[in-house]
Order: sequence, then structure tokens, then C-alpha cells
Amino acid sequence: MKKIPQQKELKDLLGPSKFSGDGYLGTDPRIPESIIEEDRHIIEQSGFTKEQLTESLKDALKKAVDALGDPVDILPGVTAVHYESRGKIPSPYRGDGLFQKGEVVIFDSKSGKKIIVTPLGINLIEKHNFFQGRGSRYRIEPEDIIVIFNLQK
Amino acid sequence: MEQLMVNILIATGFLAGMGLLLSALLVIAEKSILNFGPCTIDINNSEKILKVKGGGSLLSILARESIFIPSACGGRGSCAYCKVIVKNGGGPVSPVEEPYLSDEERKRNTRLSCQVKVRNDISIEIPREYFSVRKYRGKLISKRPLTHDIFELRIELLEPREITFTAGQYIQLKSKEYKGRESVIRAYSMSSVPSDKNHVELIIRRVPDGICTTWIFDYLEEGQNVGLSGPYGEFKLQPTDSPILFIAGGSGMAPIWSMLRDMREKGIKRKAHYFFGALTQKDLFFLDELRQLERELPDFKFIPSLSREPENSNWTGERGIITDVVKKYIPDTSGYEAYLCGSPGMIDACIKALTSTGMPVEKIYYDKFA
Ligand SMILES: Cc1cc2nc3c(=O)[nH]c(=O)nc-3n(C[C@H](O)[C@H](O)[C@H](O)COP(=O)(O)OP(=O)(O)OC[C@H]3O[C@@H](n4cnc5c(N)ncnc54)[C@H](O)[C@@H]3O)c2cc1C
Ligand code: FES
Repeated sequence: MKKIPQQKELKDLLGPSKFSGDGYLGTDPRIPESIIEEDRHIIEQSGFTKEQLTESLKDALKKAVDALGDPVDILPGVTAVHYESRGKIPSPYRGDGLFQKGEVVIFDSKSGKKIIVTPLGINLIEKHNFFQGRGSRYRIEPEDIIVIFNLQK
Repeated sequence: MEQLMVNILIATGFLAGMGLLLSALLVIAEKSILNFGPCTIDINNSEKILKVKGGGSLLSILARESIFIPSACGGRGSCAYCKVIVKNGGGPVSPVEEPYLSDEERKRNTRLSCQVKVRNDISIEIPREYFSVRKYRGKLISKRPLTHDIFELRIELLEPREITFTAGQYIQLKSKEYKGRESVIRAYSMSSVPSDKNHVELIIRRVPDGICTTWIFDYLEEGQNVGLSGPYGEFKLQPTDSPILFIAGGSGMAPIWSMLRDMREKGIKRKAHYFFGALTQKDLFFLDELRQLERELPDFKFIPSLSREPENSNWTGERGIITDVVKKYIPDTSGYEAYLCGSPGMIDACIKALTSTGMPVEKIYYDKFA
């Protein structure tokens, strides 16, 4: 199928750049619109809302950042560690502004699942429903958020 | 039916042709018809007046005149490093700039210099330091690990051979392409002493998968040439007699290490405490050098604190998060000045702790850029 220019543009925007070495799509063969649509569908099926998922991420990010690099227990068996970096990264979506670099690694020892949360990553989910492509270091599977944070309906 | 298709094709072709023609005309107009002629750039209330040919971006025209404004995106309007105050003549704020300007910055007429076109006389304000910013070519003469994730680089300046800076300032380092990753520009505080004019030292922490730090840690080798520009930044010791609190962990030590050694060289005898927060002993570095400074500076104390050191280890120093340790040593900070270096999370925590013990917020200094 021939790609329409808009799709090409978004794919270029989310590729490797001077700010994100590996970009936002990882090794995912899907176009960004499909990634967004499929994740939206997964969340709908789960019975949770995107807002519920991002709230958990934001809360964990804040707790870890406040701990200044000390591991913090988010829930029994769930630890979050902030790896700080000075400097800011612009969103690949022009106009969304700059986000603090650094990352919070969240590990759930019960399920063995690990996610890497960044301020930019949360913004991409909140504003563009974009959880990033599979294979990206910063991709977060929506189901993983539900499992790690033990979200209940 | 066939005739209809032919008509549609002709109409589409005509429209596409007109579009192309219009774009070409616009480009020509921008380049030649709209001749902006000579323009004047008045910098800092006539401290410097430049006569330039109008038409380009403020950032590029200033660079042509050897005034280098920080930039990390090559003028694409996405890094927001290139902020200057445009007092008049800059035209309206463009939609590209809007998301990068806070309300306060807008009130002060701050603009992204790469997005401001010089089309008429314009007056701007920039930090005076920018006048002395130069582009340098240097050679990496030493690269050594300080901890498991921090390296120290020592760069000899080749062209020009000397840099003049104030302790606390930073440079911008240009990485080279590797493994398909583009060359990028990143800021690093200088840890060297200003009197060592032929060298620049940096203390750099690895950022997992970071573009520039992966290049530094995995690809940059001693003997290789590097490009940098500087000095930048307004983080520096204030000329007062107030006692000082330095607070910085990890690579945040870079500007403090420069300031302390500068104090020693200049015989500055101000009372000073340096609080260094780390997780475990493996995150500490320059311990011997800092103990030596304690002997050489008459009223200086270095206080490292570890928050994750195993209980049964041989560590006899302070334990716990650094803000608590600062409170323990200096319960009343009202007469002090503080110099902080670290992530915004650490800066926020320190500001909260220091203001709660009496320090006026305007006495707390840190690199707002970072
Ligand atoms: C004034 C100033 C002084 C500084 N001084 C020092 C110093 O002395 N020492 C030092 O070590 N550092 C210093 N820094 C930080 C330094 O400039 C760099 O920002 C740092 O080294 C990281 O650069 P990098 O190219 O390795 O990482 P980058 O590649 O620029 O950034 C990596 C970060 O970008 C984000 N990111 C990338 N891709 C994605 C994605 N797909 N999704 C979500 N997030 C993503 C993540 O947060 C990740 O942590 C300073 C910064 C400033 C502004
Ligand atoms: S140079 Fe990057 S925004 Fe202007």
C-alpha cells in the first residue's frame, strides 16, 4: 500500500534524531498510527482508561525522583530507581516543549516485568496515546502497567 | 468517462504546477526581491553595534560575527538553547517558539534566536559572557574512570590554544557520528581550574543509551581530536564574604571541583562546606584530593554522605540523604550562600531544605539551564 505523506512524516519524526539516538519506534514494523490504534484498543479491552495508566506512571516517577537515586518501594515487590541526567530533550511532536532527561526503572519482582519511564514518555502517552514502538528502550506495554501497579477495576 | 479522467488529470497537473511555481516564487522572493539590505544589531544597549546584511536568522548572523549563542539543534527550533532577549525589531513570536517560552520569559521579550529573522534594525540583550565564547579544536589527552559510571576527560586545546573562563561555567562538546547516530552537541561543566588555560577537564556520567555519553564512554579514545565551544553559563561564585554551602553529587561535582581549586589558588578563605550525596562507597571519587583541600583551605570541610551503604561496611562517615545531613550540620542557613549542581529533582529538594532553615531563595545559585 502506498503511504500517504502524513504517515511518512510521522514516521520520520519518530525515527532516530539528534535528541533520541534510537528514536521512538524501535524495531516495530508497524506504522505509528497502527501502534497507537492497537494500544488504544488494548486499553479499551482492559476496562481501564489511559488516564488511570498514566496516573500510576506519574506517581511512580515522582516518588523515584524525590528519592534522589535511592530505590523506592512503590508496592510490595515493585521498586523504582531514578537515574538522573541534567539537560532536556524536546518532544518529537513539535510544539510540545522540552522534558527533563533521565529515566526511572520500575521492576516488579513478582511478574519479572520491567518498564522504563521518562517525563517525555509519559507526555507521549498522555497527549498522543503513543506508548512507542516495540523494541524501543522506552516502549511501555499497556498491560504491563496494569500488572505492575496491580490496577483493580 | 475517458474524457472525464483526462480532464481530472489535466486539472491536477495544472494545480500541482501552480503550487510548484508559487513555492519557487516564494523562495526567490525571500532571497532576492525582499532585499532587507543593511541592518543594525544593537547588543546590550550599544555595548556592541553590528552592521550586517539582513535576511538570515539572528543566530546565524551573530555566529557569522563570531558571537556564538548556545545551540544544540542547529537552528531547527527544537532545543531552546538559543534564547536571547529581543527588545525591539524581532517581529512577532512564531508558533515554533511559543511552547518553549514561559510567561515570565515572554514578558521579558525572550526569543529563540534561531527563529528571529533579521529584517530591520534590531536591539537585543545577551549575557556578556557570550562575547568571549569561541569555537575550539582540542585533543583528548586523558580519559580515566572515576567510578563505575563516571569518567574524567582532559582535553588539550589546539586551536585556539587558550580559554578564559570563570569557575562554574560550561562548554558545549560536539560528538562524532558512530553506529549511524548523528553528531550532537551537549553541555558539560568544566571541572578544570581557570588558570589552566590550555586545558579543559570534564566529569561525565554515562546516561544509558545516551547519544553523547555512549560516544564518550565507548568510542572516544585518547589522542583523538574533539570540537567544543564555550565558555557559557552564569553559575559562578558571588563576590561576597558569606559562608558557602556547596551541594552536589555524581558528575555534579564538576563545577564545584573547579570553584574549590580556584579558591585555593586565589587564596579565598571563605568558610565553606561541601556536601556530596552518593549511594555507596563505589560512587565516591576525589576523596584524597578533597581531604588534601581541607588541609589547604583554612575553613573548608568536605562531608560525603551515603544513603545505601550496607550497615556492616567499613564506612565511618555520614549516612542518609544529603538534605538531612546538611540540616544536621547547619541548622540555621540564614547567613549562608548555597551553590547547587545536579538534576532538577535534587535542586528542588535542596531549595526546600535550605529555605526551611532560613536561607533566602535569592542566595541559592545553580545552573538554571540544566
Ligand atoms: C548546563 C549543563 C551542564 C551540564 N554538565 C554536565 C556535566 O558536567 N556532566 C555530565 O555528565 N552531564 C552534564 N550535563 C548533561 C549533558 O549535557 C547531557 O544532557 C547528558 O550527558 C546526556 O547526554 P546524552 O547525549 O548521552 O543523552 P541523550 O541521548 O541526549 O539523552 C538520553 C535521555 O533522553 C531521553 N530519551 C531519549 N529517547 C527517548 C525516548 N524514545 N523516549 C523517552 N525518552 C527518551 C531519556 O530521558 C534519556 O535518559 C549538563 C547539562 C547542562 C544543560
Ligand atoms: S538553536 Fe535550537 S532552538 Fe534555536
